[in-house]
Amino acid sequence: MPDESASAGLEQLTDDLHARRAKALAMGGEERVTQQHDKKKLTARERVSLLFDAGTFVELGMLAHQHSMTGGPTEPDRTPADGVVTGEGLIDGRRVYCAAYDFTVMAGSMGMVGEQKVARLRKRALLNRLPMVWLLDSAGARIQEAAGSTFAGSGALFYEQVQMSGVVPQVAAMLGPCAAGTAYIPGLADYVPMVKETSSMALGGARLVKAATGEETSDHAMGGSQIHCYISGVGDLEVDDDAACIAAAREFLSFLPSNNREMAPRRDTQDLRDRRIDDLGKLVPVNPRAAYDMRKVLKRLADDGHVFEIKPAWARNIVTAFVRFDGQSTGVVASQPMIKGGALDIDAADKAARFITLCDAFNVPLVFLQDVPGFIVGTEVEKQGIIRHGAKMLYAVSEATVPKVTVVLRKAYGAGYYVMCGRGYEPDALVAWPSAEISVMGPEGAVDIIFPKQIAAADDPSAARKEYIEAVRKTIDPYIAASWAFVDDIIDPADTRRVIIDALEGAATKRQRRVWRKHGVRPV
Amino acid sequence: MTEVKAELVGNLWKIVVEVGQAVEEDDTLMILESMKMEIPITTPISGTVKEILVKEGEVVQEGRTVAIVE
Repeated sequence: MPDESASAGLEQLTDDLHARRAKALAMGGEERVTQQHDKKKLTARERVSLLFDAGTFVELGMLAHQHSMTGGPTEPDRTPADGVVTGEGLIDGRRVYCAAYDFTVMAGSMGMVGEQKVARLRKRALLNRLPMVWLLDSAGARIQEAAGSTFAGSGALFYEQVQMSGVVPQVAAMLGPCAAGTAYIPGLADYVPMVKETSSMALGGARLVKAATGEETSDHAMGGSQIHCYISGVGDLEVDDDAACIAAAREFLSFLPSNNREMAPRRDTQDLRDRRIDDLGKLVPVNPRAAYDMRKVLKRLADDGHVFEIKPAWARNIVTAFVRFDGQSTGVVASQPMIKGGALDIDAADKAARFITLCDAFNVPLVFLQDVPGFIVGTEVEKQGIIRHGAKMLYAVSEATVPKVTVVLRKAYGAGYYVMCGRGYEPDALVAWPSAEISVMGPEGAVDIIFPKQIAAADDPSAARKEYIEAVRKTIDPYIAASWAFVDDIIDPADTRRVIIDALEGAATKRQRRVWRKHGVRPV
Repeated sequence: MTEVKAELVGNLWKIVVEVGQAVEEDDTLMILESMKMEIPITTPISGTVKEILVKEGEVVQEGRTVAIVE
């Protein structure tokens, strides 16, 4: 005989469970959810369902909530899930962990229980070698719980993020505020898309700034996407809304493996590997002084014309982007003659160095498209520490052991040629267009340094200078570099795509070992 | 009213617009010679060229306002 009372008891208990779950799913309640929507923001749970493939999200710690720190009553209803939705799910069929801060619960502030939930995710991400995504919309640490010297025990979240760095991809999607110390979450992440208007990050929120220094500002003015995606370079992409931000996070991950021991995923393409590109001559002027938009060249070369740029609005004099070549995920570092003539400055060097390091950490091969007049010189850039910043790029390109392919389109001058993976940096293939100019510097500069006395002593100094310039110009010729076998080949520009794909495939089995060291002393 | 600024130091080679001229976003206003390149200085907005604040042949410092577009 079944025990009916016991079965009714279990039913009751189950009903109670569902009621508790329903409360957690309701987040901060109808009013707060409406306020969230009124701000053109999605709720944490709506965001999570956009992030993951339909029906794959498994939540962890849904029934957690805040506990009173002062011995007063605990109010589970006020803090469903303790303000952060955590769990795992699939993105394009691959498992990823996610922490989505819920602004409808105490402004998404980071409480002790919520932080314990996120800590568990970080631990799992590292143990299981799987990526982690933060969906940030949080006022920062929950001061009600954190004020006072128990602070001495905190901070491990960043330590753990550093241990994850280069092992699993980390994405911090900025969907609201991310004030105070928690801004180091994006600071340590590999990719940081930001929603225009609603998102912000700053080491001190506006109210703290006012208290600390007296400066009047707002979170948006201080740390919105207009600052971080254009000026500071902390943000990677400015997007219009939450959906676009989450789509960017998904796409970023599509170019990377789940961890540093795997290869980046390949994707099928209908684009022909040997597709010739006959109109590159129209895009790239032969006059080496004339500017053009390198992004258009890259679009022509990449599979299906698809380019996923990292930091497109910051340090625009260099382009860093993920593309696919015959389905192979590839990182591209390309000069941008359209901006500052493609000359390198401190921000361009930082942007490229970081991108190269990212690709190398996750086994994504690199392609360099060179049309670089060199590093900007002069008093201004020396004050900014151009040597120190340029050294970062030298360091990154030297350290990278992934397949490296270099194409010289036009100019390859001075240290610009080095940092864009010239011969000394062991590219697996180094090819040049017939228009290439590889040299320590342009003929004009060279003449003024090598022949100043001869020019001054001539009857007609101006004519003499021109003669010397012409003489030096003749020594800048890609066929000279090819005749010494410093470049592997001079190629028909129309064949560039095929040449890149062949070279990447040729180097796909590359395994490079370095001399053992704890780590190098990286310039910063 | 938008101040158009030089993005890097260079020799102002050519001014290709006149005061009062209508311009579209991204149109070239003038060309700077720097780092062996002819670098266009473009307008970030569509409008009318209100003022030109430099002369051809002048050395322009980074960040200097070279024109005003309204």
